[in-house]
Amino acid sequence: MKKATGRKLSLAMVLCLSFTMMLSGCGGNNNTNNAAKTDPPAATEAPAASNSQASPEASEAAAAGSPLDLAMKGEYKGTKVTMFGPFVDADQVKFESSIKEFEAKTGIDIQYEGSKEFEATINIRVDGGNAPDIADFPQPGLLASIAKTGKVVDLTGVLDQEKLKANYNKSWLDMSTMDGKDGKIMAGIWNRSNVKSLVWYPKKQFDDAGYTVPETWDDMMALTEQIAKDGDPAWTIGIESGAATGWAATDWIENIMLRTTTPENYDKWVKGELPFTSPEVKNAVEVMSKIWLNKDYVYGGTKSIVTTAFGDAPKPMFENPPKAWFNLMGNFITSFFPETAKVDQDYDWFYLPPIDPQYGKPVLVAGDIYAMFNDRPEVRAVMEFFTTGESIKTWVQSGGVIAPMNDASLDWYTSESDRRMAKLVQDASTLRFDGSDLMPGKVGAGTFWKGMTDYVSGTATLDKALEQIQSGWNN
Amino acid sequence: MAGKKKRKGGKTIVNLVLGVICFIWLLPTLGLFISSFRPAADILQTGWWKVFPHQEWTQGETLQLSKDTDLRQPIEVNGQTYTDDQLKAGVEVDDSRLMWENRRARTINMQEQGWKTTPDLTMDNYSNVLSGKEYKLTEADGSETMQKGTGLSQAFWNTLTIAVPATVIPVLIASFAAYAFAWLRFPGRKTLFVIIIAMLVIPIQVALIPVLKDYTSLGLNGSYLGIWLAHTAFGLPLVTYFMYNFISQLPKDLFESAFIDGASHFTIFSRLILPLSVPALASIGIFQFLWVWNDYLVSLIFIGNQPSVQVMSMKIADLVGSRGNDWHLLTSAAFISMLMPLAIFFLLQKYFVRGLMGGSVKG
Repeated sequence: MKKATGRKLSLAMVLCLSFTMMLSGCGGNNNTNNAAKTDPPAATEAPAASNSQASPEASEAAAAGSPLDLAMKGEYKGTKVTMFGPFVDADQVKFESSIKEFEAKTGIDIQYEGSKEFEATINIRVDGGNAPDIADFPQPGLLASIAKTGKVVDLTGVLDQEKLKANYNKSWLDMSTMDGKDGKIMAGIWNRSNVKSLVWYPKKQFDDAGYTVPETWDDMMALTEQIAKDGDPAWTIGIESGAATGWAATDWIENIMLRTTTPENYDKWVKGELPFTSPEVKNAVEVMSKIWLNKDYVYGGTKSIVTTAFGDAPKPMFENPPKAWFNLMGNFITSFFPETAKVDQDYDWFYLPPIDPQYGKPVLVAGDIYAMFNDRPEVRAVMEFFTTGESIKTWVQSGGVIAPMNDASLDWYTSESDRRMAKLVQDASTLRFDGSDLMPGKVGAGTFWKGMTDYVSGTATLDKALEQIQSGWNN
Repeated sequence: MAGKKKRKGGKTIVNLVLGVICFIWLLPTLGLFISSFRPAADILQTGWWKVFPHQEWTQGETLQLSKDTDLRQPIEVNGQTYTDDQLKAGVEVDDSRLMWENRRARTINMQEQGWKTTPDLTMDNYSNVLSGKEYKLTEADGSETMQKGTGLSQAFWNTLTIAVPATVIPVLIASFAAYAFAWLRFPGRKTLFVIIIAMLVIPIQVALIPVLKDYTSLGLNGSYLGIWLAHTAFGLPLVTYFMYNFISQLPKDLFESAFIDGASHFTIFSRLILPLSVPALASIGIFQFLWVWNDYLVSLIFIGNQPSVQVMSMKIADLVGSRGNDWHLLTSAAFISMLMPLAIFFLLQKYFVRGLMGGSVKG
């Protein structure tokens, strides 16, 4: 009897359990559906709410000072701001030392979390409702795709636009305007930048050999030929980078595009309006090929380009005597240089010379854009702090990064090389962002890399490679 | 007699084959181990086998060509002409090899074969990984300060804090469940069991975002409890299946006699099942522990990369730097992270073997 009831009870329980499980399974779906359905109004409400909140706060702020001023007075003492970004290891140490003073003054604890898998993780976190307060995007294309979902806070009402206009080159502000859920929003602010139009060379030996820094593309090609005659390949190029193999080639194409066609054409190209198969792009690859496909000009010959890691490529420049002389790469490459090599003495850079004088001196840059996901007063204060040069002062001193803000003094740079870089950016006639980082991932981090790799390794002809790259836009 | 001899011969072949397989398996590990003691520059330039004595071309007499030799024309050396490509790769003439020494200065070296043994080994990789790298920061006045990064110890304890409960909890629950499925008669038993088996085929990736959403609303994100539960849930189907297979094979008579003697289910489980299934517990324990110890994905999603909770696999991934410039450190880091699973394996292996033997003799 007892046993029978026990049995019935367990049966009932199992049934109940399975039912609840099924229900919760379906219920969960319903809930998410409902949430999705109610999401648009909620989302439209949210910006509106934040705007309406923002305006009294803004007027309040006008009276009491901006969030940053309030934070400096210790208003937000004891609060925490979470931050998520891709830099780890040495970069993380440099970042943390640059915010230390701010944290001590305001009492806001910025909890930075770095991950090598940032690109993969940030989408999961945002979708999972676990977005950090602030995220650091090295690729604005990725932020643009998240901004479309409406989960990024529009900074237009959060930060003082006049101050921003005073502190940033207009190009930077234009690049931070992206498509939101309902119209354009200001999706983030630029905090760090690096310059990608630099040709690194071993300065001491270069001077000893009696070479001079080329001012035009033709000079550079003549020097390349001269060096080849003297017995060395001039260029050392490597585009191997694991799953990202090929990205280094995209920097070349972007640089040459800026030098052989109008900035407008470049913008169209980045947006996908000018196809890869167009004569402009084809011409750019051909200009590049004159160096890349000449085995006398490239260290190890054309074949080694695809198999050399981009970080290992500069190494032959530091042998004595140098086995190669030029390496086109962004300023971060210095972290791959031998520790014994000294900036300004052993190595230096020159600006990749213009090809056609009518396009002036364009500069290709990349950078990190900080976006805000949770709107709280202390997060606003931290965001405002990141728009000041002060926020990366110590990092600038340690080298390897350029401050995009105007209030970052040139005196902060401790090496002549970095200072010239900052000046190059400030004086640039045309400033354009790394195109492959702006293109959608399928192209900019997909077919573009792969197509260039196939072309250089010889598995595809130029036309075929360009068609293959273009196909990334189509699907 | 003849049969015995034949068996002996067969055994040698089996051993030989096993030996070859072991060698093939161990060779990369050996290479990694040797690399972990080599300086970064050496790892980049030559293979790990170069630390052993080997024959190599060594520098010999230097020949000076005329300064204005055109490199694109055939080049004359000692009455013979060679192309530039040949001299780049090296041409063997008699016992020596002609190769560019300095192409710019137009010097050619007549290299000779020679034995070379200069094992240049260092503990730098290990000390960098264990006690943290040193970072150079430049102050406003241009002076440089060194800042020491964190070592592996914090990450080690974090991983252990995660791995031990994440092994014990699922193995315990799965043993209860396996006993119930094997020896209790309750309705829906088969259906439930099939559901559990069916869960084996669900890839964990599809569960990540939904679980993360629930964790966010429950506030479990980034907490140890959250990741224990995640590992438990992801591990349970396999562990249950494994334990079921073992426990259902135990002789039925044992339990019947125990039942007649008045033992409750719990007594049977704790007094009979657990001691008898030590070999199974040990082996599935090793599996689950290894899985949790080496896990990257689940930790990445549910616990994140804050230094206070960061696990070893993530700390090691970070060691290579934002742009992968320090990848040579992975060699030593791999060996350090291997120590714990190896220790667990050898520790449990004793029980593993004893448990098997005990089961077979006593029945």
